[in-house]
Amino acid sequence: MRSSEAIIVWGSLLVVVAAMFATVYWPVINIRDEPSDIWRPLQSQEEKGRLIYIANGCTYCHSQYIRPQDWGIGAERISQSGDYYRQIPHLLGSQRTGPDLSQEGGEHSDDWHRAHFINPRFTRPRSLMPAFAYIGEEGIESLIAYIQSLGGKDADQRMAVQNRFHEEAIAAWERGPDEHIRWLHSRVPQPWRIMPSETPATRASVARGEKVYQDYCIGCHGPVGDGAGPAAPYIYPPPVNFTTLRRHLIDGQYIGGILYYQIMNGITGTAMPYHKKDLESAKIWDVGNYIMVNFINVRDDRIPSAGIPVSYEGRHAKPVTKNPQPEPIQPGKGGVR
Amino acid sequence: MRINLTRFWSTEYLTAKIFLVSGAVWFAVGTSLGLFSAIHLVAPDFFANIAFIEFGRVRPAHTNTVLFGFVTGMLIGAGVYILPKVLNTRLFSEPMGVVAAVTFNLAVLVGDISLLAGHSQGREYAEYIFPVDVMIVVAFLLLTANAVMTVRQRREPLLYVSSWYVVGAMLWTTVMYPFGNVLWRGRPGAMSGITDAIFLWFYGHNIFGLLVTPLAVAIGYYMVPRIARAPLYSQLLSILGFWTLLMFYTHIGGHHLIQAPIPTWLKTVSIIDSFAMMLPVAIVLINWWYTARGRFQNFLSNPVGKFFLIGSIWYAIVCVQGPLQSLAWVQRVTHFNNWVIGHSHIAVLGFTGFIAIAGMYYVLPYITGRKIYSTKLINIQYWLVLLGLLGFFVSLTAAGLIQGHVWLHGGTVYRSVPMLKPYMTTRLFEGILIIIGSYIGLYNVIMTFLKGERISE
Ligand code: HEC
Ligand code: HEC
Ligand code: HEM
Ligand code: HEM
Repeated sequence: MRSSEAIIVWGSLLVVVAAMFATVYWPVINIRDEPSDIWRPLQSQEEKGRLIYIANGCTYCHSQYIRPQDWGIGAERISQSGDYYRQIPHLLGSQRTGPDLSQEGGEHSDDWHRAHFINPRFTRPRSLMPAFAYIGEEGIESLIAYIQSLGGKDADQRMAVQNRFHEEAIAAWERGPDEHIRWLHSRVPQPWRIMPSETPATRASVARGEKVYQDYCIGCHGPVGDGAGPAAPYIYPPPVNFTTLRRHLIDGQYIGGILYYQIMNGITGTAMPYHKKDLESAKIWDVGNYIMVNFINVRDDRIPSAGIPVSYEGRHAKPVTKNPQPEPIQPGKGGVR
Repeated sequence: MRINLTRFWSTEYLTAKIFLVSGAVWFAVGTSLGLFSAIHLVAPDFFANIAFIEFGRVRPAHTNTVLFGFVTGMLIGAGVYILPKVLNTRLFSEPMGVVAAVTFNLAVLVGDISLLAGHSQGREYAEYIFPVDVMIVVAFLLLTANAVMTVRQRREPLLYVSSWYVVGAMLWTTVMYPFGNVLWRGRPGAMSGITDAIFLWFYGHNIFGLLVTPLAVAIGYYMVPRIARAPLYSQLLSILGFWTLLMFYTHIGGHHLIQAPIPTWLKTVSIIDSFAMMLPVAIVLINWWYTARGRFQNFLSNPVGKFFLIGSIWYAIVCVQGPLQSLAWVQRVTHFNNWVIGHSHIAVLGFTGFIAIAGMYYVLPYITGRKIYSTKLINIQYWLVLLGLLGFFVSLTAAGLIQGHVWLHGGTVYRSVPMLKPYMTTRLFEGILIIIGSYIGLYNVIMTFLKGERISE
């Protein structure tokens, strides 16, 4: 070999190998190969689900790491290298067409996932995720097991809460629809229960509420609010039929605060998701107004309140109680009766 | 008529012919696969529950087909033609090249089918299963051996810069591919945890930096003086460009993991070297454009030259965008969204793809002895692909900025999903332009073989 070609062949090879050493081998041997505080090994069904995750390319739409700036999507914990202990291959991902899944375990109930995997539009009407009914029932169950394990020990804690309330909700549902609603409302803190809607149900508000309903709720609660959306067959206890709420108005007149609280916080243990990350306060009141006006046939925004109205509400604002009697605030009197 | 098989295997340019034609085929196939993904992102229930065209299966088939089948294949096709040409010799062994070409194409075919059937290693650009990885390594071993032996039997003492890049690309890929695909671990083809991410993105970046970029640069160095009919501007610059590219490109895999839990110094190295990458890129472009100075008319008057010139401009854009988006401060917004998809398309299609197409049309007449069937069709293809790609760049960058800002300012991902609609819709139609372009190209290539006007000596 003449010198020029030797330099190109051996010289360039040297540079490449040196780079492998410096930017791969060196960092790799210096990374502490230890599990983090939340890591736990996967069980066999979860492993199976992980393989389905890989085979169907979930990783092209879902990342599995939370970055410091992800506060906007509710990052509670920044990912650490120990979270990925013994994961072969890694599934960090490079796209977020869908949400990050590294802490997905326990975010939703199993039946939410079941309906969602059959067709994501059932639970999330504007979703771009593929329908995975073709994976089959067994595959979907494994996938759910895997998804519910994401987040390790933190996920297990969330799942424990899910499971606890799942049992309560089912027991309540099996006592009959009205008992069920009574149970639901008994879990709403007292101040919310005795609060009528705080946003006037103007035509604009109801129209905005309709848009929110179509983007978030229609797949479960159905186009006419009877709880018979396309997701309903996969969900147990089934979505609430709003028309039955007419029998459960507080003082026979209002329900705005209960709706607000349930929509905001969701009902853990059931498929009903929380919406406080997705929807601003005004949108939650709006969709509540939409439900009341269209499905329950009640308007409770005319009930006077001691609150100081928001200026933009102008002439639509709720009537203000004349000379409100200031009630002394008694500590420890809120909460469940 | 009896076909003499040994003679057939040794037909001059057969390796190049196979790679160029298969490249044109994979261009059409690969972009069509992209169409399924693009349709999905507009109407997710359009093909609901047809397993083998589900988004997550088609997408890797799309990326691997265009990356390996189309761009790499076409570039190698032109590369194995120009390597012996600049060395004033013939390819060392035509049968060896043919075996490599067939193995490589078979690998893409088997790899794609297995991806669509749900067999994937789940690592971006390294999804192909173990047997396919082995086939690709075998193909590159053969190509490297062939290239090195061709260099050794050369009759031209001076090694022109194109030959360094061609030999380099094959050699480096032979080393880097099995390393990045963790071939020694067999079936999973992966290390574990964060280690695996570092392995993957070392490879993931070098598949662009040490395979397609050097090949495209080699073709550029070959074509520019010939189309411009002027000597290369500077030999010294070409040497500098070669070694700096190699020094810097190999260190920047970490910029794909800027916000992941990898060691901070690795991120720092990758960002610094990403900026340093501007140097080799600027050197190459200065060398090309100064060679062409005052003679741009020669490029613009001929569709092959146009493909090349635009490819070089995309290279400039990509490599200004690239260093900027390696900054953590910029990635806060651009990472994880369609901004990066925009970068990918102008890089892989705009830069390497355009130059591959230019190289193919440039080389075809020499190896077939026929003129390109229709210059007009090349022109039409040029405009279709260029307009489509410009549209991609605008739509995807806009979509990415929207997603990035929604998230950065407290919006959830689900809130950003409906905002994609207009951009995904325009991208779908822009994609169709590119696809039509690819089929027109394929038709033109086939017709050149069958009906192209013979060039009289
Ligand atoms: C085309 C991209 C895409 C693919 C592929 C994809 N998803 Fe999704 N995914 C989304 C989008 C968009 C959302 C947000 C809307 C929704 O909830 O459906 C989402 C949401 C989710 C959620 C709910 C997250 C939450 O808490 O709101 C889970 C769980 C999920 N996907 C799991 C998967 C799994 C498992 C796979 C693979 C079998 C997969 N996804 C494949 C796009 C995708
Ligand atoms: C995935 C299905 C699903 C979606 C989506 C969903 N819900 Fe529900 N919702 C349920 C289920 C199931 C229940 C009943 C839970 C139980 O039985 O304990 C429920 C209960 C409720 C309740 C409680 C009623 C009461 O009287 O306590 C309200 C209010 C409600 N949903 C409103 C909404 C609104 C508004 C949206 C959209 C923003 C929405 N839901 C989206 C499934 C869903
Ligand atoms: C100077 C040169 C370049 C620099 C500094 C650079 C930088 C980057 C960075 C920082 C990313 C990651 C973005 C993110 O995930 O947020 C990226 C992604 C990418 N780059 Fe480049 N780039 C350069 C040139 C190129 C070239 C020449 C090509 C192709 C031939 C290319 C192809 C890609 C592809 C395909 C991706 C997407 C990877 C993925 O799937 O996530 N880049 N680049
Ligand atoms: C030959 C030309 C093309 C090349 C080289 C190419 C290359 C690529 C690459 C490298 C990626 C991965 C991007 C990343 O991960 O960052 C990608 C993704 C994609 N491409 Fe292409 N592509 C081409 C043509 C097309 C066409 C014509 C279409 C549409 C019709 C298309 C649609 C897509 C889609 C939908 C994705 C997935 C994006 C996502 O995950 O959101 N591509 N392509």
